[in-house]
Amino acid sequence: MDVFGSFTLLLAFVCAVYALVGGIAAIMTRHPLLVKSTRQAGMATCVLIFIATFSLEYLLFSDNFSQAYVVSHSNRDLSAFYKVAALWSGQEGSLLFWSFLLSIYVISVLIAYRNKNGELMPYVGVVLAGVQTFFLVLNNFVESPFKTLATVNASGALEPFTRMDGNGLNPLLQYPEMVIHPPNLYSGYTGFTIPFAFALAALLARYPGEKWIHLTRKWTMIAWCFQSVGILLGAHWAYAVLGWGGYWGWDPVENASLLPWLTGTAFLHSVMMQEKRGMMKVWNVWLVFCTFLLCILGTFLTRSGIVSSVHAFANSHIGPWFVGFLALTLIVCFVAYVKNRDYLKSENQLDSMISRESSFLFNNLLFLVACIAVLSGTLFPVFSEWFTSNRISVGAPFFNKIMIPVGLAILFLTGVGPLLAWRKTSGDSMKRNFGWPLSVGLLCGVAAYFLGYRDTFSIICLALCGFVFWTIVMEFYRGARVISARAGMNILVSAHELAMRNTRRYGGYVVHFGMVLVFIGLAGSAFNTDVQRPMNLGESMKLGPYTLVLQSADTKAEQNYTAQRMIVEVLKDNKQLMMMYPEKRQFQGTDEGNGTMVAIYSTLREDVYVVFAGMDADTKLPVIHAFLNPLVKWIWLGGVWVVMGTLLALMPNRRAALAVGLVPQPAASASPIAQALNPSVTLREGHD
Amino acid sequence: MTNRRRIAPLLLIVAFAVLPLFAQQQADRVKEVGGKFLCMCGCGQILTQCNHVGCTVSTSMLKELGAMVNRGDSEDKITQAFVQEFGTTVYAEPPKSGFSLVAWLMPVFYFLIGAVIVVFFINKWRKQAPAPAAVAPAGVHISPEAYERARSQADRDTED
Repeated sequence: MDVFGSFTLLLAFVCAVYALVGGIAAIMTRHPLLVKSTRQAGMATCVLIFIATFSLEYLLFSDNFSQAYVVSHSNRDLSAFYKVAALWSGQEGSLLFWSFLLSIYVISVLIAYRNKNGELMPYVGVVLAGVQTFFLVLNNFVESPFKTLATVNASGALEPFTRMDGNGLNPLLQYPEMVIHPPNLYSGYTGFTIPFAFALAALLARYPGEKWIHLTRKWTMIAWCFQSVGILLGAHWAYAVLGWGGYWGWDPVENASLLPWLTGTAFLHSVMMQEKRGMMKVWNVWLVFCTFLLCILGTFLTRSGIVSSVHAFANSHIGPWFVGFLALTLIVCFVAYVKNRDYLKSENQLDSMISRESSFLFNNLLFLVACIAVLSGTLFPVFSEWFTSNRISVGAPFFNKIMIPVGLAILFLTGVGPLLAWRKTSGDSMKRNFGWPLSVGLLCGVAAYFLGYRDTFSIICLALCGFVFWTIVMEFYRGARVISARAGMNILVSAHELAMRNTRRYGGYVVHFGMVLVFIGLAGSAFNTDVQRPMNLGESMKLGPYTLVLQSADTKAEQNYTAQRMIVEVLKDNKQLMMMYPEKRQFQGTDEGNGTMVAIYSTLREDVYVVFAGMDADTKLPVIHAFLNPLVKWIWLGGVWVVMGTLLALMPNRRAALAVGLVPQPAASASPIAQALNPSVTLREGHD
Repeated sequence: MTNRRRIAPLLLIVAFAVLPLFAQQQADRVKEVGGKFLCMCGCGQILTQCNHVGCTVSTSMLKELGAMVNRGDSEDKITQAFVQEFGTTVYAEPPKSGFSLVAWLMPVFYFLIGAVIVVFFINKWRKQAPAPAAVAPAGVHISPEAYERARSQADRDTED
């Protein structure tokens, strides 16, 4: 199976090269057969990558310990669930997994548009084949997952060698979220290849109109949704497994995932300027380019060892390949832009500084500042070493100080944007639109203060959350009221109807609502408290309004690990609330040692988060580290709303049905305006 | 009973009452100062947050920090000692001096440059905007095509 997998991977590389070179020839010669054959080569590449990926999974499931990858990342006791995850737990497998996910996107695009956009698709095919070729070079010649173990025999020749068992999977990865977090994040990273391919193709082909923007936006939303889910699942994994009481540590690998998300979000907003006003074409094309380049840069940071991180893969010599690919891509983008920049001529006209357009411009500015600040902070240790020979670390306190004000400004614009009209907003309309949301925001800020939240940024954040929330409520209410008045439906049904008629707009508001919940959760982090100490059995400690009593300890043997468990009783007002079981896991056969399993009692108000931090070296007593983290649950709830909003935005709009009815005909002498305003058919609320 | 004998138990009581407060103060200070350094085990976490099982690095660093805090060392002195021992990688955030100042100034610089560019383009694009069309006098007919065009433009403008 290893030879089979290796062969299919090599064949995939050959097909990808053919799709790339043949595709360029097809564009130049415009030969229909060549176009068709390269498209089919692109599809064959994808199928072959699927087969290679399943081959590796087969080797993992069949415990084939003659394979270096299987030995390094699996063992006999590993459950089937985690054998799936072993595919992306190592450098070689995760690169193959990257190719696999990219292939899903590529084959979807090639099939979905096989009879559409005839002028554009050969270019799209070439760009996609180029990206696939790069990853297949890595899969075949740099980090092959199909390496067989060998030993030197007595005569000095190499002969195959099979180990009895493997080293097992890294304990930190043996957690259910690790089975879904990387696929989501990688789906985000790889998904941004599609908008990039369409943008570059449209530029190269000088594709007329804004159609590529419509196609690109949809794929960007899909990738963005996966990226958002991936980031949030990663944060939840860090929270529930790493046991340091937080969910975001501004680690370089976390930052790497945030960079394309920030530019992707900026693009999803600025793309509206191009669709509606024909503005910012150059900006949008470069935002798409940058998003893709940041995905590759993020992968480079994670895998090259240039920045240190607990999440990074083992150091390898893969870095120069990524640098080369980044440089080549940048050159191609730049040349394409310089040669075709007249194609991107915009109709840049603004009627007023106070308009929806201006708010989008400032929104983009803030997202870009956030992106560059995170990028420069992440790379600063490298720069400082170059310039001063001293590596200066940049940790969470730096990022918090920079990003909190930027995040709050973005949150503010999230509320302001929908309240401003396109083109120009009059003073009257501003008074009318801003009055209630600002009042609600102010009220929330005052309420937060009186509820005991005495941190400036947190109070501002909660006030802005109220402001944005009320903006969203008003947007739904205004539209729903009109439908309700016309169709006689109740306001909630009307709001649903409204959302289904303009899914993109109201899906966007649902996403904004999700972000409000996330920000509420983030505001709580200023009030985290913790207490840590060695505890005797029966001893108790106070944590806010809770009392934690260490009742007993036990040991639990599972298939792949042995857990040492502390049994902690949680009391509130001297009443038993629940039992918590923080544990340490000793995994069998792993080189990586122990894993933590945090016990969390989560409510909307706060999380009681209990970690068994090991045995105290002096007293030999178990050390219990307990945190009281307010409002964390809101972050995960916000994530769910973000996903729901994106799914809604991806749905097609329902249309209002036209029902012919008898209405008085206007007089023959009436003006066309009057005729137009009183059409001979009445519009009845409903849908197809 | 002499005055001294009378005061002694009182002092003892006060000492017992104050000692936990003092210990708490020391612990808070360790937490505060420790939050300014990274654990040197390679985890990239804040010193007071590193919780790797068996991480001997953070344990010994915290012990050292505790001793310095108990001695009453100033934050500067503690920082100097840590930087001397572990190098500049021990900083949780770059110091606001020397080359490190660049890290702090860069985001502000990006924002200012970006804001200037945005305002410049808004002003430039405002000047390019055509003068608003004159309102048609009452009774002037508009063709259905023109009406449809205007309507679809309005739809586009109000859709999102």
